[in-house]
Amino acid sequence: MAVVAPSPERTRIENLERLWAARPGLLGWLTTVDHKKIGLLYFWTTLVFFAAGGVEALLMRTQLATANERLVGPETFDQLMTMHGVTMIFFFIIPITTGAFGNYLVPLMIGARDMAFPRLNALSYWLFLGAGMFMYSSFLIHQAPNAGWFDYVPLALRQYNGGLNVDFYALGLIFTTVAATIGALNLIVTIFKLRAPGMSWNRMPLFCFAMLAASLSLVFALPALTADCIFLELQRKLGFHFFDQAHGGDPLLWQHLFWIFGHPEVYIIVLPAFGIATSIIPTFARHKMVAFPLVAMAELLVAFIGFGVWAHHMFATGLTSTTLVFFAAASMMVVIPSTIQIYAWLMTVNIGTPEFRAPLMFIGGFILFFVIGGLSGIMFAAIPFDQATTDTYFVVAHFHFIIFGAAVFPVLGGIYYWFPKVTGRMYDERLAQLSFWLTFAGTTLTFFPMHIVGLLGMTRRIYTYDGGLGWDAYNLIETIGGYVLATGLLLIAFNIVRSYRRNVPAGRDPFRGGTLEWTTTSPPPHYNFAVIPTVTSPYPNWDEPDREEDLRKLARGDLVLDQGHETPESTVNDAWPSAVAEMPPESPWPILAAATVTVAFFLLLTQHYATAGAFFVLTVLAAAGWNAHEPEEATG
Amino acid sequence: MTTVTLPVRHAHAKGWWGMVVFVATEATLFGTLVGTYVYLRFQNAHWPPEQLPLPPVLTPTMLTVALVATSVPMHVASRSVSEGRRVRAWWALVVALAVQVVYLVWQVHDYVHAIDVYPPSGSAWASVYVTILGADHAHVLVGVLLTTWFVLRIRTRLTRYRAVGVQATAFYWHAVNTITIAVLAVQLSPHL
Repeated sequence: MAVVAPSPERTRIENLERLWAARPGLLGWLTTVDHKKIGLLYFWTTLVFFAAGGVEALLMRTQLATANERLVGPETFDQLMTMHGVTMIFFFIIPITTGAFGNYLVPLMIGARDMAFPRLNALSYWLFLGAGMFMYSSFLIHQAPNAGWFDYVPLALRQYNGGLNVDFYALGLIFTTVAATIGALNLIVTIFKLRAPGMSWNRMPLFCFAMLAASLSLVFALPALTADCIFLELQRKLGFHFFDQAHGGDPLLWQHLFWIFGHPEVYIIVLPAFGIATSIIPTFARHKMVAFPLVAMAELLVAFIGFGVWAHHMFATGLTSTTLVFFAAASMMVVIPSTIQIYAWLMTVNIGTPEFRAPLMFIGGFILFFVIGGLSGIMFAAIPFDQATTDTYFVVAHFHFIIFGAAVFPVLGGIYYWFPKVTGRMYDERLAQLSFWLTFAGTTLTFFPMHIVGLLGMTRRIYTYDGGLGWDAYNLIETIGGYVLATGLLLIAFNIVRSYRRNVPAGRDPFRGGTLEWTTTSPPPHYNFAVIPTVTSPYPNWDEPDREEDLRKLARGDLVLDQGHETPESTVNDAWPSAVAEMPPESPWPILAAATVTVAFFLLLTQHYATAGAFFVLTVLAAAGWNAHEPEEATG
Repeated sequence: MTTVTLPVRHAHAKGWWGMVVFVATEATLFGTLVGTYVYLRFQNAHWPPEQLPLPPVLTPTMLTVALVATSVPMHVASRSVSEGRRVRAWWALVVALAVQVVYLVWQVHDYVHAIDVYPPSGSAWASVYVTILGADHAHVLVGVLLTTWFVLRIRTRLTRYRAVGVQATAFYWHAVNTITIAVLAVQLSPHL
């Protein structure tokens, strides 16, 4: 808000600057509770995991480039394959969408000064980091998880998998589900309770609807995975029986519980991508989203239907045909909300005046890949087709079009789109468009031929194959595509670093975006908004009278809240102010609590249960220390 | 502390909503556990296995009744803090805590015994049984810690922050008591 300020405004802004000032240096980062800094921590950490998962993928693609390659052996290949899946899903895409984008953008989009529970937010990041280090430490002793990302029993049982590999998997996932649940809880309550005055549900940005849908899915889907992994650890370590028929268990129980989590997980991955698309499209099409309420409902509906389709991952396991037909029908139902959104995106571009800059180009790629992946997805809902192609590369092609093409492309577009907001600097448009064409070509070259080799009979998860089966050329193309894709991704990283150093100022609102994050400075101040904005439409930045009113409010001191470290709370449905919440200051307890949990998980891994228990007691003490700091209030 | 210039509508605080979402995810966890019990029940001809004694009826039922009764003082505490009646809220919490602690100690004692009688390494039934009971007791333990915390906190002073904490804790207890009834139903189901 760069106004030539007479003194009352100046004083209020100085008050805010002083109240929200951040501790400088490393200690500031370790104890931060600022959603923007936590969002950036998430962002850089997930990029490191993305790079690790990418290297694993390239090693596998290099191994599969030609027949009978000898780069890695079968045991290493199994570990690479499992860790590639686990990393990309649990340590890249969930945390970069909900953790980085959600954390950074949701409070800015709803006009709040922070997340609902800032310290819990920090805890969720540090737990996530601990879980990631826990999982990756398995490589140090060459015992990384090796039973595939869905870790089917009986292969994952101790009789068939005696090392620590699967223990790293099960404990690491229990660990990371705790972090993800806390993050999702925080996003839900933030969206429920901290929306700016006037931002009733029908005026909330579609990005926040997508984050809400993904967070609700996380909260209700993760317990199934947690329980499943607890069962597996109890069976592996303490001799319980859940998954072995000899003592009354059932191996299919693992699959049911895994996919009760696993299918909602697909929408958890792709919903934030929808949210990013619905942010970028209106900005560059210069037109409000077509069918706004339908798209909002469709986002929630996708998340809901996602809970009723899990057994379509199990068509080849011998369930009764009645069951299969039910799940096939439910799976086809997902087409409806997905199609609503695709048409709404296309129509918005169609009736707007689109300007094809890099972010919108990535969304274009996303829509194309989503349609291709969706079409092969509908094919799997036909049970006979699924049974014929299950465990072939056709499946690999399908889900990579969805979780790379459809989920990651909007994230890449989103990185460019919000880069000016986060840094205050402009990216290089020419390099950005080049990086789009490279990643687009790379994705197509890598994953499209997989459909064909899949239909030719190449099965998933094999570490090598014989020549002369008609697979060689396709595999070589895929590997070349993989390297093209990696080049494109590196170019994006290069563009970010170079643009940051070149320091071309971007200004407050370079793209004329519609949502509230564009009303504040780039980068936003620690307190986000000098005045808590009042909202009368879903695109408040396009409502100029309202924003001029904000400036007058700053002069009057209305909704500035410059007497304390505060943000307003509002009612859930119509976002009417209900209270002023004092926000906590920086705190060392989240990182300390997460450290005790991390140590405890290593002790569980090595079966030092009593010592692990002692560390969990320390976690409880850290929670007490955390809660001992309270807002200053008058005695009630 | 800013005084609000806008007209304010009463609503539940964000801390209370946080507890609602937390309870939702924990309830889903128990749904998964009970679902597993029922699923495995239909994979087995004898559930529990024939050679095992049936689980006890009387003690867990009486204990559960006592625990569920603590919802009353917890509710009183929740109402009292919203009316600013600190002393009344404190006594309600103390009464609830006494019963909750007795419940937990008694149940943990019986639990150790149950692991002996129904070794989880012997059958899937015992594995699920022991896991569900253990998960329930762990949630009671968390509740006991929360109640203890607020007994200590509101002994001398009540603030809005602490009042929200007491209300969230009361909500947690209502949820845990409901879950305990479901767990009791699982425990009693072999007698049906």
